Parts: sequence; structure tokens; C-alpha cells
Amino acid sequence: MARSRNGDRRAFSELVLRHQTPVFRVCYRILGNREDARDAAQEAFIRAYRKLDGFEGRSSFKTWMLRLTVNVSLNEQSRRKENLPLEDWAPERLPGPEAELMTAESVARLHKALQALQPNHRAAVVLHDLEGLTFREVGESLDVAEQTAKSWAYRGRHRLKDLLT
Amino acid sequence: MEETNIEELLQAYATGDVSEDEAERVERALSESPRLREELARYERLFVLLMATAQEEVRAPRDLRARVVWRIALTAYLNSAAELAGGLLGAYGQALIYYLRLA
Repeated sequence: MARSRNGDRRAFSELVLRHQTPVFRVCYRILGNREDARDAAQEAFIRAYRKLDGFEGRSSFKTWMLRLTVNVSLNEQSRRKENLPLEDWAPERLPGPEAELMTAESVARLHKALQALQPNHRAAVVLHDLEGLTFREVGESLDVAEQTAKSWAYRGRHRLKDLLT
Repeated sequence: MEETNIEELLQAYATGDVSEDEAERVERALSESPRLREELARYERLFVLLMATAQEEVRAPRDLRARVVWRIALTAYLNSAAELAGGLLGAYGQALIYYLRLA
């Protein structure tokens, strides 16, 4: 980290290697496709490199990096205005309780439904339910109080439940 | 407790993230409301799907790191070149950097 802050590009390259999978995964889950996710992940790392001096270590590098990642992803989506209007999207329901096996199609439906959530609610669900962050870490990553992060996740899950089950 | 408040607790109940007291309140409400029992079943299905999705393997593109390193190196090069050239070329260089979203 210290070497990266001093402009050591090789050291920063190691940081990218260490964090590229979760960063890309969050971009993919927020944006919904790999191509946009690749561009957003790249942009997030570039911003991280430029802002390393501003990283004060009050949160972990992981949550700091995820904050940049979420911001870039949400900005990118807002810029592209690709939010699906809900009225144009008829979600397919999940199989009933008798179908215990979750298929790839079910997972794909969840990805699609995530795109229909409000951006903050989606980010909270992605970070807590899919990335396994605690609500405290989600709050740090989204720059809000822990209780707000919980509330956003609650609303996101409530919407997902209505869309998918 | 109001049914709406119970609904807020249902999510936490479905994941086992409630206190003993809260669990008792939810269970009491569930025993009296078929609608809440159906809501709980729907949340349970959702959480199974969320868990399945969380376990899905999502790999970063193989060239992601190379792309990041290349852009950082290019930015550093262009910044140096712009500083050296100065004047008109510097302005064009800065414009190019801005245009390419490198800075």
C-alpha cells in the first residue's frame, strides 16, 4: 500500500491483482453485464490510483475500494440511462417451493431483477447479500450510517421478493 | 405489534438474525396470519436464490489488470510529454488527455 501511494506502479499492479475479482463482481452485479463491468472496474482502479493519497485508513482498503467501485458503477449506469422501466419488464417468477434446485436461469432472473431496484437499494443488497459485507462495512462503502444501509437492503429485498416470488 | 413492523422483522427472521424476544413475537404473529406465513415462505425462497447467486463464480477478465496498468502508464507518459512540450502542444496534450478520459 505504502509503495503504491508513492507512485510505485508495480506495487499498485499487485493491489489490482488482489482486489480485481471482488471489484469486477460488484460492477457486474450492479451493471448487469460483463462488458460494462469491465469498463467500470477499470475506471474504479484508475480513480483509486489517483486518489491513493486521500486514503486515510479510517476504513479498510477493501471498503474504500468498494466505495469507489459502487460510485463508478452507479454513475456509469446513470450516464447510460439503462435502467429498465418497470412497466416494460415482466419478471418471471421463481419456481415454487417444490423446486429446490436453483438453476442458472433463476440466478439470471435475480441479476435481471436487481437492475429494477433503486440504485442505493441495489448496492446495499449486492454488498451485503452477495458480497457478504456486514452492514457496518456496507455503510462505510456507501458512505452512510449502518442503519441506513440496513434500511436500503430491507427495501431492496422487499422489492426483489415482490418481483421474483 | 403492528403487522407492518412484523413484516420488517420477517426478513431478519428468515435469516435467523433476530433476538429470542423478536423471534417469539414473529412466531406469534405467524400463527395468527396465513398471509404472513406466505410472506415468510416468499422471503425464504428469495434468500435461497440470493445464496445461490452469491456462490456463483464471477471471474474478472484476464486482461483487466493489464488494461489498468496500461492506462496508468499512458497517463503518466502523456502528463510528462505535456509538461515537456508546454505551450500549444501542452494545451493539445491536455485536451487529448481530457478527451481520452485519462486524467
